[in-house]
Amino acid sequence: MGYRILCGALALGLGLGGVAFLLGFLQAAAPGGAAPGPLSPLGPNGLYFMAFTACGLIGWAGGLVGAARHPEAGRTVGTFSAWALVAMGLYRFVGWFTGDFAHLGNLPRIEAVIFLSLALAFVWLRPPAIARGAIR
Amino acid sequence: MMRWLATLAIGALIALVIAAPSLPIAQRGSEAAVRQEAPHALLAVGDSVPPLALQNLDGTPFDLSSLRGHRVLLTFERSVDW
Repeated sequence: MGYRILCGALALGLGLGGVAFLLGFLQAAAPGGAAPGPLSPLGPNGLYFMAFTACGLIGWAGGLVGAARHPEAGRTVGTFSAWALVAMGLYRFVGWFTGDFAHLGNLPRIEAVIFLSLALAFVWLRPPAIARGAIR
Repeated sequence: MMRWLATLAIGALIALVIAAPSLPIAQRGSEAAVRQEAPHALLAVGDSVPPLALQNLDGTPFDLSSLRGHRVLLTFERSVDW
């Protein structure tokens, strides 16, 4: 049950984030449009990659929805979600370490701890393997 | 077994992220570290800027003192050539 909740909650967060990023790109790309608030420093290249990330997040969220509906069949989604969350924590830590995001203070470190903790949750809540052929 | 290995690795990362600000390697470049290593390198308000001669992007020599008497905004950025 915990695995299903974890997958569902993360799918919701990632999906909403992906849609918001995509809408941010489209808003900036609209005639006369300007990127809203803190997104404006990204520039065209940054917005382009933000939209790319948005599509990836939506796809990831879809995989998590599948894992939430059929946990035993979605173990691999949990495994690679844990890897992705570790990577997300790592790059935030490196970003904090280099000082390039000094204006964010300790926020990257806090986010890194959250993502790494979520990865731990995936490690421990992932359902046990079932026999091959048991899923149809 | 793999579950415990993953827990150990991720736990070590979490400990590193939490403890990082107190590690010596993370304190490089901080004002405290600079003051300790080069106490005369920092300027106080009202001090004159020390001589600074560098090259422009096109290779032309540039001396900051050539701007003496003008209002100058001096910024420092990390080079991508590292």
